[in-house]
Amino acid sequence: MLSPREMIDDRPDDNVFRVNRAAFTDAATFDREISEIFDRCWLYIGHASQVPDHGDYIATRLGFHPVFVIRGSDGEVQCFYDACSHRGSKLTRRTSGNARTMTCRYHGWCFNADGDCTLVRGGDEAYRSEDLERMGTNLRPIEQFGEYKGFLFGCLDADAPSLEDFLGGALPFIDLMADQAPDEMEVLRGESRYIMEANWKLQTENSTDGYHVATVHRNFATTVGYRETLATDGGGEMAKTEASRILSLDKIGSGGYDVGNGHMINWADRGNPEAGPSWAQRGRLLQKYPEGKVRWMLERGRTVTVFPNLLLNDVASTCIRVWRPLGVGLTEIETWCIAPKGEAPESRRARIRKYEDFFFPASLAVPDDVRAMEGAHTGSEALNNGWNDLALGYKTLVDGADAAAQELGVVPLNSNPGREVETPFFAFWREWATRLSS
Amino acid sequence: MGDAAILVTISVEQVTALLHQEAWFLDHKRWGNWLALYDKDAVYWAPALVGDEGWTDDPDNDVSLMYMDRAGLEARIFRIEGGDSYATDPLPHTAHLVTNVLIHDQTDDLTEVSATWMVHSYTRVRSATVRGGLYDYLLRDTPDGLKIVRKKIYIHDDRIVGPVDIYNI
Repeated sequence: MLSPREMIDDRPDDNVFRVNRAAFTDAATFDREISEIFDRCWLYIGHASQVPDHGDYIATRLGFHPVFVIRGSDGEVQCFYDACSHRGSKLTRRTSGNARTMTCRYHGWCFNADGDCTLVRGGDEAYRSEDLERMGTNLRPIEQFGEYKGFLFGCLDADAPSLEDFLGGALPFIDLMADQAPDEMEVLRGESRYIMEANWKLQTENSTDGYHVATVHRNFATTVGYRETLATDGGGEMAKTEASRILSLDKIGSGGYDVGNGHMINWADRGNPEAGPSWAQRGRLLQKYPEGKVRWMLERGRTVTVFPNLLLNDVASTCIRVWRPLGVGLTEIETWCIAPKGEAPESRRARIRKYEDFFFPASLAVPDDVRAMEGAHTGSEALNNGWNDLALGYKTLVDGADAAAQELGVVPLNSNPGREVETPFFAFWREWATRLSS
Repeated sequence: MGDAAILVTISVEQVTALLHQEAWFLDHKRWGNWLALYDKDAVYWAPALVGDEGWTDDPDNDVSLMYMDRAGLEARIFRIEGGDSYATDPLPHTAHLVTNVLIHDQTDDLTEVSATWMVHSYTRVRSATVRGGLYDYLLRDTPDGLKIVRKKIYIHDDRIVGPVDIYNI
């Protein structure tokens, strides 16, 4: 089997970038991804608004390690390994909830929301104090935990660079979502997890793939377009979608960026920006931010794909998506709708309806994506030495910033004018190969 | 819950017949007949889970799995019949089991009903999936017969494999 480095045929001088399809299907490579990427990289956990009060927690996984975040008595959020310090039983009883005291169901040890052990059953009568000291009774925090504007990330590698260094070139694009709310953003109630029978990296590619939009989502566009002809009251201007933009890229600006560290950006001008649920905030945003930044926020749809498994999608609605590998051909995907706190009821309603239209497994778009990615996974097993030649857009690739990036004051490693390009993938695959080859 | 004092003019048999008819139309892909069971102001609502035990209950502020008016249902049929949705090609063979039908309340022309459902769904590409949950209905007695004004579908699954759509819940 090829090594990860050999799976990436990257020859800039010859304008060639190819990915061997075994990268999606090889089990040994998958095991290496878990140890070299998921156990060492900053990974998205959740949003601070999901744990507003003392004792609020969310249980999740980083790689294959169960962890939970919890808001402590001092108002700070911490992240702990989800295992009793006694004999390792998982502590959280729910995927989310409130527990100012977390009691281990197995032998009854108790912990407060700051991670301190508050009860060892049997206590001093059963244990020698030096034994308790040796075992360490408090919960173990994960190696690094960080928050960026409400987004919570964890990293199991104590030597990894800081969260902000890691997010690096993606930060100005994350800000475009985080700064949209004068009074902070919040994650809305209502959860969805779904299973994709395909390799996790197909979701990473799909999240920044502008080329599939006009094929896989043509049906979405024609369906919501048809629905608009039926609506009796129209639901107001904000209920309108941008279906037309999906079907044609004529006359609109679009592009893709490599912003370093494996992060990828894809964007396209909105066909009808006034229909965006955040358009109502425009006046306030213009008072606070430069015009170029507000134009990026409200007039350009964006997918911000953060290495290795996070998407911040701000197109018709505002979605956070995380995909977690369960096996080489099995992936769990979780999504949340994020919205400005205190937004007007009609904006909130339009944002939610547009979110439901696109981002859930019961929607008009995600099921088609899932089938496409599953088809790509199955097809990747067809040839013994198949290559994905990512040539689309190589001829228009330029170093540094294009005009739109200059408007935001950012300098990507490279830019490409056009949504239908595969060059942003180079960012992901180069980071992937580097991490697996270390 | 049911009260002996309710003056019932719509019988459990009538309601059960409607629910079974709806299931039959879905399982036989008679989309137009299926849609005709819904009144013009109908709402079709599948709430999402909140935590392990709760459900979203405010469609204007919470995210639902589905929240559609009749135009939304018509658009679903457009999507299915168009043959252009990758997830819907091929359509699964479905078998709805709808049971435990109860009438809870009746006011004027409206009847509140609950039921339990399970759907076996099969396509060669994905093999069999089984999904289940509960239904709450609000039905209206109209000159054209009993119509669905509201259908609320609790889907007891949030690690969803394959598409969820009107035909398999």
